[in-house]
Amino acid sequence: MTEPIVKYNKVTKYFDDLQVLDKIDFEIQQGEKVALIGPSGSGKTTFARLLMTLEEITDGTIEVEGEYLWHEKNEKGELSPASTEHLRKVRSNVGMVFQHFHLFPHMTVLENIIEAPITVKGKKKKEATKQGKEILDKVGLLDKADVYPAQLSGGQKQRVAIARALVMEPKVLIFDEPTSALDPELVGEVLEVIKDIADQGETSMLLITHEMDFAKEVADRIAFFDDGKIVEDGAPSEILYNPKSTRLKEFLERFMNTQTP
Amino acid sequence: MKIWNWNYAFDILPEIISALWVTITATVVGFGLALILGLLWTILIRSDSKIVSSIAGGIVTFVRNTPILVQLFFIFYVFPEFGISLEPFVAGVLGLGLHYSTYLSEVFRSGIESVDPGQWEVATALNFTKRKTWTRIILPQAFPPVLPVIGNYFITMFKETPLLSAITLVEILQTAKNIGAGTFRYTEPFTIVGVLFLVLSYPASLLLRNLENKISEKY
Repeated sequence: MTEPIVKYNKVTKYFDDLQVLDKIDFEIQQGEKVALIGPSGSGKTTFARLLMTLEEITDGTIEVEGEYLWHEKNEKGELSPASTEHLRKVRSNVGMVFQHFHLFPHMTVLENIIEAPITVKGKKKKEATKQGKEILDKVGLLDKADVYPAQLSGGQKQRVAIARALVMEPKVLIFDEPTSALDPELVGEVLEVIKDIADQGETSMLLITHEMDFAKEVADRIAFFDDGKIVEDGAPSEILYNPKSTRLKEFLERFMNTQTP
Repeated sequence: MKIWNWNYAFDILPEIISALWVTITATVVGFGLALILGLLWTILIRSDSKIVSSIAGGIVTFVRNTPILVQLFFIFYVFPEFGISLEPFVAGVLGLGLHYSTYLSEVFRSGIESVDPGQWEVATALNFTKRKTWTRIILPQAFPPVLPVIGNYFITMFKETPLLSAITLVEILQTAKNIGAGTFRYTEPFTIVGVLFLVLSYPASLLLRNLENKISEKY
């Protein structure tokens, strides 16, 4: 078997005295799509934000492509906190799509997409533009290339945000509740784009979602979070239709009740 | 003796206007310095290092809460005792720039805080360096909303340049005073100075209001 692309090892996270993650072990394989479900406050978002280095790890390690994310090994083989350069190098394998899009409001759609390839990766503008337009076409927004984000609908904004993350060619792409901030009628178009990316296969995905049907459709695996721990982890059909723990049963029940009109 | 003598007024006008050049360069250079220093304070105050942050914060608080005239006197009359003798113009520009930088620092802070915190996160997610996050993402969004306030400080600073006459800089007010001292007629020179300030400040403030409207349309 090939090395996992992401490996959490006894990852613990405290916010001051509050423990949000408790010694979590977790792996994502090459190209694997993993959905994270669970009640709010269960730690799933913090779990993903640690991988994006948006929160600092309290204890444990995360490896991305066999390299420590938060740590560096010194000559004696001991782990010490990673330098900024090391963090940036390992982080470049990871990308993220946010609940609230966070597009750059002062840039056009195309500029939003080519900014990081030019500024961060040092690509030529011409090349970045060509690549940016291809990706925009993929998410069906080529005609909006020269428009500012303020003129887009929520669904369009999120599709641009996805394109902006994709253009950096991450090995792992995190989606943090990508449709939670959208009007119901706009959810479909965003899910479709995510599904397209999933179908292409190469990119591993970590998908935090409340869309159970979608999780079932896209994910190879679902992990259920509760109270800072992964309570169950398995194939979508197992998790959703054959829950073992009472907590997952309760969660699914509550969820179905609130979802059915 | 008439209260207002037009011939005299026109006679002295060119001399006063030529001194206006000193006033304007002092304002522009001083404000440029204030912008750079102000931004520097803001960034230092936001530094992760507690020491750097509190030193910068201390300087800003100190400068903002002491009179600018005292600072000007200090730079011009006290610095030479430590071997730093400055021309009146240089000392004046330094004093103005330093004093206004502390106000501008506060303006920048509010501009930066008005930027959605998510912008910092997405910059991290896209692997921007700290510097590029500032120059490409944060500052371009922080500036436009506070541009009118910055402009106001520019006009205020322009109107405060006569303070520099106190450290012997022969700017527009000092020129008028010198003329008055030579002829014992003060009405015309000082009136002309007032009018010149008005003629420059008022259109500038109109321009600013225009800018303000344009910005609020965009945001």
